[in-house]
Amino acid sequence: MRPTRASRATVANPRIRRPRPGDLKVSGYREGYPMRITLTIVLAATVATAAVPVHAHHAFASEFDARKPVKFTGTVTKMEWINPHSWMHIEVKKPDGTVENWMIEAGSPNSLFRRGINKNTVKPGMVVVVDGYQARDGSRRANGRDVTLPEGRRLFLGSQGTGAPGDQK
Amino acid sequence: MSRRLRVSLGVLGIVLAGVIALAATGQLRLPAGLTGNTASAEGWTPPTTAWGDPDLQGIYNYGTSTPLQRPAQVGGKQVMSDEEAEQLQEDLAFRLDRDRRDGGAQADVSRSYNDVWMDPARMRLTADKRTSLIVDPPDGRIPPRVERQLTPADKLAQAEADMSTRRFNTGFQESYKDMDVGNRCIIRRRNEGGGHPYLPAIYNNMAQIFQSPGYVVIYSEMIHFARVIPVDGRAPLPDGVETWLGDARGRWEGNTLVVETRNFIAPDDVGRTGVVYGNANPKTYRLVERFTRVSPETINYEVTISDPETWTRPFTIMVPWNKTNEQIYEYQCQELNYDMYHWLHGAREREKRGERFDPNAPDARVEGDGG
Amino acid sequence: MGKRSNALIVVVIAAVAVVGIWLAMRLQGPAAAQVARPGQFPEYTPARTADGKPDLNGIWQSLTTANWDLEAHGAGPGAYPQMLGAWGAEPGGQSIVEGGVIPYRPESLARREANFENRAKPSVPGDGVEPSMGDPELKCWMTGVPRMMYMPYPLQIVQTPEAVLVTQEFNGNTRIVRMNWEEESPVDNTFFMGWNRGRWEGDTLVIDVTGLSDKNWLDRAGNFLSDAAHVVERLTAASPYHITYEATIEDPKVFSRPWKISFPLYRRMERDVQLMEFKCQPFVEELVYGRFTKKPTT
Repeated sequence: MRPTRASRATVANPRIRRPRPGDLKVSGYREGYPMRITLTIVLAATVATAAVPVHAHHAFASEFDARKPVKFTGTVTKMEWINPHSWMHIEVKKPDGTVENWMIEAGSPNSLFRRGINKNTVKPGMVVVVDGYQARDGSRRANGRDVTLPEGRRLFLGSQGTGAPGDQK
Repeated sequence: MSRRLRVSLGVLGIVLAGVIALAATGQLRLPAGLTGNTASAEGWTPPTTAWGDPDLQGIYNYGTSTPLQRPAQVGGKQVMSDEEAEQLQEDLAFRLDRDRRDGGAQADVSRSYNDVWMDPARMRLTADKRTSLIVDPPDGRIPPRVERQLTPADKLAQAEADMSTRRFNTGFQESYKDMDVGNRCIIRRRNEGGGHPYLPAIYNNMAQIFQSPGYVVIYSEMIHFARVIPVDGRAPLPDGVETWLGDARGRWEGNTLVVETRNFIAPDDVGRTGVVYGNANPKTYRLVERFTRVSPETINYEVTISDPETWTRPFTIMVPWNKTNEQIYEYQCQELNYDMYHWLHGAREREKRGERFDPNAPDARVEGDGG
Repeated sequence: MGKRSNALIVVVIAAVAVVGIWLAMRLQGPAAAQVARPGQFPEYTPARTADGKPDLNGIWQSLTTANWDLEAHGAGPGAYPQMLGAWGAEPGGQSIVEGGVIPYRPESLARREANFENRAKPSVPGDGVEPSMGDPELKCWMTGVPRMMYMPYPLQIVQTPEAVLVTQEFNGNTRIVRMNWEEESPVDNTFFMGWNRGRWEGDTLVIDVTGLSDKNWLDRAGNFLSDAAHVVERLTAASPYHITYEATIEDPKVFSRPWKISFPLYRRMERDVQLMEFKCQPFVEELVYGRFTKKPTT
């Protein structure tokens, strides 16, 4: 069961409007409004920076190449729900008919287990679409950004990480 | 002895006996105000175990989005209003929204990752809406580091550590020593809550507390470690015994479990992140933690970190631990760590193809304290 | 003679009688001394926890050589006699397997032989070696169930009504046994320490273990399990200082029938005894990853 969390404001979703400093027309804000918004923007930026490394995140570049995006459709041959990283093994049929085996890096599965995701969610035989970045050493390995499962469900299986406990920042 | 005196002494004796009996059975507790940080919910008395110790047991999640340090720009404001807190959480959700594709490959992957893998508790502020997890010093910031004159050996060590980080960042690791202690599956990286001190990280902010007579045991999900804390008053281990996770001794102060940990190892080649928080000196580093159950759902976890060789003064962090219905799962690490081979073998393959390490490549940039 | 001297005589006789009985008892020794016999424990009623269950809390350790080899074995040189001499040699030991021999399917024996042959040649995850080589203990992996119970390191049991924690000194081998838990393992062939569910049958703690990784070994001799393994353990307090431990191992891919091991666990009685940290990862890095280190260019 997916836990509830703060509703997502997306660029496309006008329902929740991100206030801009000096915008006095936004309802619900009292005097001193710009100061308060500054506070939340600054705090959010701080936290977001910690969670989304906009500056160099070592591990990604240490193994994967941002200049080598990959996207393919493949059949799952094995799913390893393991630590420090999960790995999805897929068989990809190339346009010329040859078959390649790829491994796609994912994150720690423990938080997925807590949401009820398990061996039945991604199974051998499933056809998936993978979108990611290839390993720098040219091997058939990618850090996935998105995986789309047969019923159209998106399950990101890419790893941001160093490959080890505590990866983020 | 007069009869009156005998009666008075008798009554006193009965009262004393009653008090002693209550104390012995653990029914007697000091009022909250006398034991420090025990801000219990109004009228709530923490339960005790069958043998009379305060009961801290349960499975907890200590994830939160409250930052460790108060950002300088908020001008010393300690607590947010309800409005601000709600706005911050929405803003955070927007920033971390995986449907955004701006920011380059790294941010792209990170956002998507965060959407699926990140602990949802990381999106929520602490219930008290503080602007920092640090509660002391009052400015909510880590104290300044002690200024030290660097010896030539220090400078050499720093330069080598810097090069090691650059090799790692660009995928030209020379050996396992170019990975940090977390990547090597030794301990979880300290600054992200490598076990203790327990600080929120992106995921697996889970701990389970077990108690039996004479012990409190805290099991951390990452990297599979049961921290056995004796509360029977035994002496600590002697100084020469060194460990990665320290050796803990606990005692009860009223309803609060106080844990002191020492005996940290100071090995030569830990890599880019240290053994203890802030890459402090393991020999002089001290950790004092306080666990107080303040409601059926929450333990207030307070940790005071000190090292006179590293920081000009100690500092204290408070992170609420919230009970959860979720379970802890095994975090195997060394056993299925594909990354070490991928990095090391991968680097050797690239070298065979003629690629060379460039310390000044754009992605070689070094992170602050190595994470 | 009179009343006073009669009284005196009675007192003296009584005193002599008391001293005499006391001396006789002392010379006889403690009443009903028991002779200890290996293989037998006298009937025992255990101390109980608040919820009425036998109290298994404490620090325990087994004393067999099963970690070297579950089956009976003579002494041997070990993997590197030229370097380690008697430190690295294998001591002789008796089997802890009921019936003595593990009932392998004939086709599985080859894998055990190969395991033994390669026990000191560790492969690493990702290097393509399948099945992986090298004793997991050598590589500082969590050594799993039931192996943790007969490794030569202390383990601590922390018993609560909801869950029993079993944690061991070696590499922090730890498992949480959830009591009366219905949920199945979310994944197969993954958990090195298994998916552990416990219940009490009378005074015996029964632990059902599934979800075990097939990459783990049962001992240094290369005995192994597959992903079909199912282990059921039984722990019973046999005296204030002993737990009898039994495990039934069922794995139709490897063995022709279920089989059982058993041995006592001994309570560690040193004053202030504690588990010491044994993080072995730093001690195996050179062994396991050294071959990938960049060679200096000449």
